[in-house]
Amino acid sequence: MNTRKIDPVTFAVIKSGLDTIVDDMAYAVMRTARSSIVRDVLDYSVTMCDARGRILSQAKTVALHLGAVPDAMEVVLDQFADDLVPGDVVVLNDPYEGGMHLPDIFMFKPIFAEGALQGFSIVVAHHTDVGGRVPGSNASDSTEIYQEGVRIAPMKLYEAGKPNKTLLKIIEKNVRLPDLVLGDLEAQYATCNIGEREFLKLADRYGAGPLNDYFDELIDYGEKLTRSAIAGWKDGDYTFEDTIDGDGITFDPIPIKVKITVKGDHLTVDFAGSSPQVRGAINSTLSFVKSATYLSVRCALEADVPNNAGVYRCIDVTAPEGSILNPQMPAAVAARALTGYRVVDTVLGCLAQIAPARIMAAGEGGNTVVAFGGYDAETREPFVLVDMINGAWGGRSNRDGVEGVTNPSQNMSNLPIETLEARYPVMMEEYSLRPDSCGAGKYRGGLGLTRQYRLLAKEAMLQMRADRYETAPYGLFGGQPADTSKNILNPDHAREELPSKLTRQVPAGTVVRHEQAGGGGFGNPLERDVALIARDLRDGKITRRFAEANYQAVFDSSGAFDAAATQEARA
Amino acid sequence: MRQARIGVDIGGTFTDLVLLDSDGQVFITKVSSTPAAPEEAVLTGIAKILEQAGLTVSDVTEVLHGTTVGSNTLLQKVGAKTGLITTKGFRDVLEIGRVRTPTMFDLTWSKGEPLVERRYRTEVNERTNAKGEVLVALDPAEIIEIGKYFQAEGIESVAICFLNSYLNPANEQLALDTFAAHFPDIWVTASVSVLPEIKEYERTSTTAVNAYVLPSLRHYLTRLEGGLRDMGLSAPLLVSNSNGGLSGAKVAQDRPVFFISSGRSAGVVGGARLAASVGEPDLVVFDMGGTTASASLVHKGEVTRTSEYEFRSGISTPSRFIKADGYLMRVPTIDVAEVGSGAGSVAWLDPGKLLNAGPQSAGAFPGPACYGQGGDKPTVTDSNVALGFLPSKLAGGTMTLDVQKSRDALERDIATPLGLTIEEAALGVREIVNVNMARAIRAVTVERGVDPRDFTLLAIGGSGPVHACDLAQALGIRRVLFPRAPGVFTAMGMLAGNVERYFLRPLPGLLETTSAQTVADTMADLRAEAIKGLAEEGYAEDAIGFVYEFDLRYRGQDSELQVEISDAADFDPAAIREKFLSVYAATYGYASQDAIEVVNLRLRAMGLSGQNLDFKALKSGQLAAAGAGQETRKIHFSRESGWVETPVVERAALQTAMSGPVVLQSPDTTIIVPPHATAAPDAAGNILVNFD
Repeated sequence: MNTRKIDPVTFAVIKSGLDTIVDDMAYAVMRTARSSIVRDVLDYSVTMCDARGRILSQAKTVALHLGAVPDAMEVVLDQFADDLVPGDVVVLNDPYEGGMHLPDIFMFKPIFAEGALQGFSIVVAHHTDVGGRVPGSNASDSTEIYQEGVRIAPMKLYEAGKPNKTLLKIIEKNVRLPDLVLGDLEAQYATCNIGEREFLKLADRYGAGPLNDYFDELIDYGEKLTRSAIAGWKDGDYTFEDTIDGDGITFDPIPIKVKITVKGDHLTVDFAGSSPQVRGAINSTLSFVKSATYLSVRCALEADVPNNAGVYRCIDVTAPEGSILNPQMPAAVAARALTGYRVVDTVLGCLAQIAPARIMAAGEGGNTVVAFGGYDAETREPFVLVDMINGAWGGRSNRDGVEGVTNPSQNMSNLPIETLEARYPVMMEEYSLRPDSCGAGKYRGGLGLTRQYRLLAKEAMLQMRADRYETAPYGLFGGQPADTSKNILNPDHAREELPSKLTRQVPAGTVVRHEQAGGGGFGNPLERDVALIARDLRDGKITRRFAEANYQAVFDSSGAFDAAATQEARA
Repeated sequence: MRQARIGVDIGGTFTDLVLLDSDGQVFITKVSSTPAAPEEAVLTGIAKILEQAGLTVSDVTEVLHGTTVGSNTLLQKVGAKTGLITTKGFRDVLEIGRVRTPTMFDLTWSKGEPLVERRYRTEVNERTNAKGEVLVALDPAEIIEIGKYFQAEGIESVAICFLNSYLNPANEQLALDTFAAHFPDIWVTASVSVLPEIKEYERTSTTAVNAYVLPSLRHYLTRLEGGLRDMGLSAPLLVSNSNGGLSGAKVAQDRPVFFISSGRSAGVVGGARLAASVGEPDLVVFDMGGTTASASLVHKGEVTRTSEYEFRSGISTPSRFIKADGYLMRVPTIDVAEVGSGAGSVAWLDPGKLLNAGPQSAGAFPGPACYGQGGDKPTVTDSNVALGFLPSKLAGGTMTLDVQKSRDALERDIATPLGLTIEEAALGVREIVNVNMARAIRAVTVERGVDPRDFTLLAIGGSGPVHACDLAQALGIRRVLFPRAPGVFTAMGMLAGNVERYFLRPLPGLLETTSAQTVADTMADLRAEAIKGLAEEGYAEDAIGFVYEFDLRYRGQDSELQVEISDAADFDPAAIREKFLSVYAATYGYASQDAIEVVNLRLRAMGLSGQNLDFKALKSGQLAAAGAGQETRKIHFSRESGWVETPVVERAALQTAMSGPVVLQSPDTTIIVPPHATAAPDAAGNILVNFD
């Protein structure tokens, strides 16, 4: 470290340069992708690594993907170490060889300068469909990886600039919507090229040797800031437990347990005691668990720590083999995102004991996936709508939670209703905030969302992945848990409560309603400012019943909220 | 008879005025802005500049105006008490937005408050489907009920936006008509009369912004028109819109959402005009002020435009990737990338001792340390003072700068902690702020696959000329252009603008199967609408220029690129496809052979007055400043150069080419020409710097 010649100004310039590159790349994916899930919902990630596969910079994309990149990089470097040339592109999606679940296809483009490998530009995208038994390839109730779609071991999609037609053909023949999948792969490829082009400009300006010194410095810098933050935390063991409400096959509660050990400037995060691997498709690879853990710890750090490999060096993550957090072949994993969300909730709940000012009470518990797949009655063209519902944040130490917001482990968007209706045989009947769904607190949680769909096609395969049915999002420091989620079929006639996770065929005219959990509260509800109670009542975000039950609110004879009397009643 | 047009641009500190008379003479003045009642400075300034020019109010043929009233209303949240009427089930669309966050890993972040509180977001039972068929007709009685509620609540302005109204406005139009007829005292805006485009949140937000700022902009313009009338000035008042075009004040009063970035865009249009006059078709317009810097592109003589932008309460970054935390407007806007770096940006070290500059700004008060007004944080200006780039007196000698205070602040906050000399620290701050500003330029060039090295940099704004040459060198740009009076260039740009109106029709379908007849019919519709619109501005059909554009994309994509066509006879799918492929490849580095979709047909209609400012024919109406003395100043250009004894020349006195290093001094700004560069004046009074 001492032999490096680091100029503080050049250092800042290179750091900013890398941030700009990933930003450019993220924008390019959004503009060129074909599927709604990528271009509207923004379920993709972009990052740059150095030649050793260490993350240098990440775009403001899905954080849950990014922490899994190091393990994927390791596989790529292992298998192709001496076999990469300019113009190569490697792809993979196999969870048992670097991937997470089959719809997420990783793409790596090695970058060469001065005759040697210098780094990788990387794009991970969630594809609309990768085949398997259910449209969208995302079902919770598969039991083996073989049911979930086409598995791609680490392979070259391009060799020295030439496309691998065999692999492309295999993909094309195994997915329901080849135009979208190949179009999105093309967007990933174009974006990798943009990353390469910009990276080479840096290498050209500073020279590969000095540039690598700055990369080392950048990673050390991330580590230094992380260690100094951890050193400020109180040494000790901290534990927390949260629950998943069933795996889609059975509805037995599935525990996720964590123990965080703070020792000096290092963290050990151990998931011993978590559930053994399950039959349904919510098993999560260890790489994904690491990713969820890294991002949760990152939230407890100050805002300006760079998101690179240096942060990861300070955190050791372990989970027992054969557990839901480190499964063995051929466990199904398609709906593993849910498990990642619960790992985030569990780790955050634990960190709240360590750094409460930066942590929130539990949010909605991860996005709900609602998918409709089938064939257009007239054209026989296949359609697959994969919609994701997000979300709410829990209350914080000094302010309310947020409503209508992405889960913090991602940075995804929502599908515009008019775009959805124009492209799919589905009509949206409601998209709204759910009154009273928040956890009460000195600072309440955000409200959950309701989204209600009506199927217009003759029939479709409906697939839903929800959770937080039984175990509500927790409150912190006296704050109340939020209301739970619900899936409802045909709410206005023949109302039927559906399970949290399901796959079933539904006919035209079916109405599907999801009511999502809100965020938990933070702090004692009886300390809540009466002006905030009055505001929430006026805005219809909470009802009188909720205010009376949680805040000891007093109403006068005309039914109006009486702030002064409430204040008095609570004194 | 000598006549005149006046351009007025309101800034945070000064209101700039430029007067162009019919002999081609230009007069310039600055008066202090009057934020509480901005029209006062405008009126004072007009009186002052007329006196300077020896003209009277009756000689004025047009007043062109850029106003910050729209943006300030949003920034300070002082707009109308606003209500919303929308489709049943969707009142929260405005608050939910697109659910993203501008930062990551920050659980302390909060969303901005929506412009319409939930209690004033109402729903009616109506529905149009995605084919444009009305499934549930609107019952006007529901609108009347809501109107009564709004009236009782003291709502001042109302936005109406129904699902799928962009495909069939019938229900929404009925709601608008009903509301307007029954509640004449409440302003009302329907989404279809703003811009009928797909995506409910974007359209609702645009409509809500319009409703929210409408009363303040309307009142302001009414007061301004009244003030002009009272001083006997009867010439029309035109307002500059976010797209750099001009419209009669009436349009601004009805559709203020098109005028939020009024002013700033005029500088870019001015840049395009200037580009044409000096034969430089490719310019990066770089504007640096006290708290922000911005960049915009003139490519092949055309300004670059975007169809959507987000107004944030903080500083917007050039990341167009994040749509979050601002007020989104889907209106044609000149594509300007802005960064929170300006002359007042404060330099600081983060806990890891990484050097940063901005976005915190010392502002006008207390200002940089060297102002001696109590500010003790080192700013970009302090670095420029410590290195000798800026003189010890500013603003034409009215303000003295304290070099020692700059050096002390830099030493304490930057140099000592980093183990650098004061000069090294100051150079570091300059380099960091240059890198940040380069990001804005990269956002409008590199990000589009455009190489900035093929461009000339146009430096405007009070501080642009102090940094422009360094920035150009960092980006590999070979030429830098300094216009006449860079400090008031925006007001000058208004004099160069056209009256413009924008029209749009959705035209969904595949390009190959789009029929020439449909295109011709749609164009005829748009044209008729434009002719009617511009007649209100006093333009006859033969004085209107029409530019049609298709919004095109690959099938399945969501983002469009624009391809221009001049008239219906030109509609040739194969040729349009070729154009699209070439624009696409230039932007994203590849183009596939997939099917192409048409989304919209747009029309930009321009009133051609024939009296726009001609940069070639400009003559200064004011006396040139006194001739050059033999003054020199020491400037620390770089670590390698160390301190260099540099000649200081009055800009107006520069008659022939001169090699750098040299400082060109004028009352409105300081031009720094570094070593290994040559500065040469042209016949029209611009200065062009070339690097060796």
